[in-house]
Amino acid sequence: MTSEPSSTHFVRFHEERCTGCAACLRVCPTKTIRIRQQKSIRFVDQCIGCGACIRVCPAGAVSATARLPEGIGRDHIAIALVSPVLYAQFPHVMPGGVLMGLRQLGFHHTIDMSFFFEMFQVAAEEFIRRNRTSRVAPWPLISPACPVVVRLIAFQFPSLLPHILPVLRPVALMAREIEERIIPEYDDQDIVLYYINPCPTKSQSPLTPDSRSAKYREVAIGINDIYPVLKPQVERILTSDKMPFAWTRFEFETCSTADAAFGAMSGGEIARIDIENSLAVHGLKETADYLNRIEMGLLKDMEYIEFRTCREGCLGGVLTVVDKYIAKRHVQKMVNVFGMGRRLPRDTLLRQYEKGRFKIDKSPEVLRTLFKPRKPSISLAEAERIEHLVANLGGRNCGACGAPDCQTFAEDVVLGQAELTDCIWMAVRGLTRGSDDS
Amino acid sequence: MASIRKTFYVKARDFVHAGEASISIQSLLKSMNQDPKLIRRIGVCSYEGEMNGVMHGGDTHVVFDMDTEQIVLEISDDGPGIEDIELAMQPGYSTASEEARELGFGAGMGLPNMKKNADQISIASGKGKGTLVRVTFSLTAGEAER
Repeated sequence: MTSEPSSTHFVRFHEERCTGCAACLRVCPTKTIRIRQQKSIRFVDQCIGCGACIRVCPAGAVSATARLPEGIGRDHIAIALVSPVLYAQFPHVMPGGVLMGLRQLGFHHTIDMSFFFEMFQVAAEEFIRRNRTSRVAPWPLISPACPVVVRLIAFQFPSLLPHILPVLRPVALMAREIEERIIPEYDDQDIVLYYINPCPTKSQSPLTPDSRSAKYREVAIGINDIYPVLKPQVERILTSDKMPFAWTRFEFETCSTADAAFGAMSGGEIARIDIENSLAVHGLKETADYLNRIEMGLLKDMEYIEFRTCREGCLGGVLTVVDKYIAKRHVQKMVNVFGMGRRLPRDTLLRQYEKGRFKIDKSPEVLRTLFKPRKPSISLAEAERIEHLVANLGGRNCGACGAPDCQTFAEDVVLGQAELTDCIWMAVRGLTRGSDDS
Repeated sequence: MASIRKTFYVKARDFVHAGEASISIQSLLKSMNQDPKLIRRIGVCSYEGEMNGVMHGGDTHVVFDMDTEQIVLEISDDGPGIEDIELAMQPGYSTASEEARELGFGAGMGLPNMKKNADQISIASGKGKGTLVRVTFSLTAGEAER
């Protein structure tokens, strides 16, 4: 391999901070990371943006590519697309207050994603119900909401692509609404969409490839990036008695319900989808385990599974400030005090569903080509050599060679991307054999 | 001719670890960019085979053999054997223990499921003689021929 990128689409590596501990190697679910010469990282392009490496690095040597830009809204129209996880960072503050705080920071529009999440839930439920008779998709259907899960399936469980619920994701619904209703208001102006996210997954959804970049730019911001500047604004709003009366023009620009962040909890998606045989699974390892089981033909009695690769769901995203358990309690308290409420008229949504407004135009086959395997395919002869090589390696998966485990190292060697002498075990054995001979 | 063989061992009644052979086989086939549908069929067969061994048989061996033309899975156990193979092939017929059923297994779909997913299946068994299930997948015949 000629190029050795030190960043992926989602994460960036800082060589000067790396201590070479190899913790990131082991947690990467797609085995994307290799360490070269102790401290330089090479990424094999299979990153799914889960953020496990950011989470585990004790030296802060891995960060998200997303970061807070300067001068929001200064010479452009700034539109914030707000993950409800942001609300859970502020205990006792209504979501509307948090959105107002964003306005104070210079955003011209603040879009509440939970509004579209509710929309998605209605459409998802409808699709699942209809699938009972139409059987156009196989059971169990898998939630498309977490983009990391979608990428994990595409790279490691391609046979499960037909299981992904073919309903537009909340982010896609949100983006479409902005395109249709807000963008046209600003002819010929520079427009930037700021995605305020709890995880390193970029704004770009794998299900909706970029086809509209001409009209606006897209920037991802981590919640932990915007929190320090947002907090004083939110506090000011809480203490001031002067509340702007009408500061929004669109129904999705504020959020009047207190339970908005509920959907960001693990189980929050299926809690509002009235399907009995459903399940919420969270955690990277747990997700992979369950996907393996589905691939072996199990869990067919389940109709819908909500997967989140972060523990406790999006509240546990790596770019958050408040710990997931504390954030979860914040959400629960808000629900206890204010209750749960639906904002959207179900009948209207079902009529839109009928018109195909929630339909996704990407078939599993299209998805498969979108996610072409990025690793070179291994031939049978190569597999045979790998097998023999693994049998001769130490088998300790020590990571000293810079690959996450012996199997991956053997693959790299056979594919000409690593030297056999990188293996300490082989090197030591080579030395002993040398002294025996003399 | 290039070929590869992998052998796995599953301990009797080890419901926790059963399935690992299948995951390993599937992962190998994925790295070789085999057709996802084929990978799935092989995964189902291998898993059902493992579970059969774990539930009824005893200590179970899974041998995976692949060359350019076909993939052969041999699942053998030293358990009590199958008295009436034809009956065992009937969907829904099961002799699974209460323990297995409580765990959600033993619905009597194991062998029928394997038959459905494999290109060829052969079973050698007899009372007290253990069981050998051999399933074959052709790599040369197209999906259409099935």
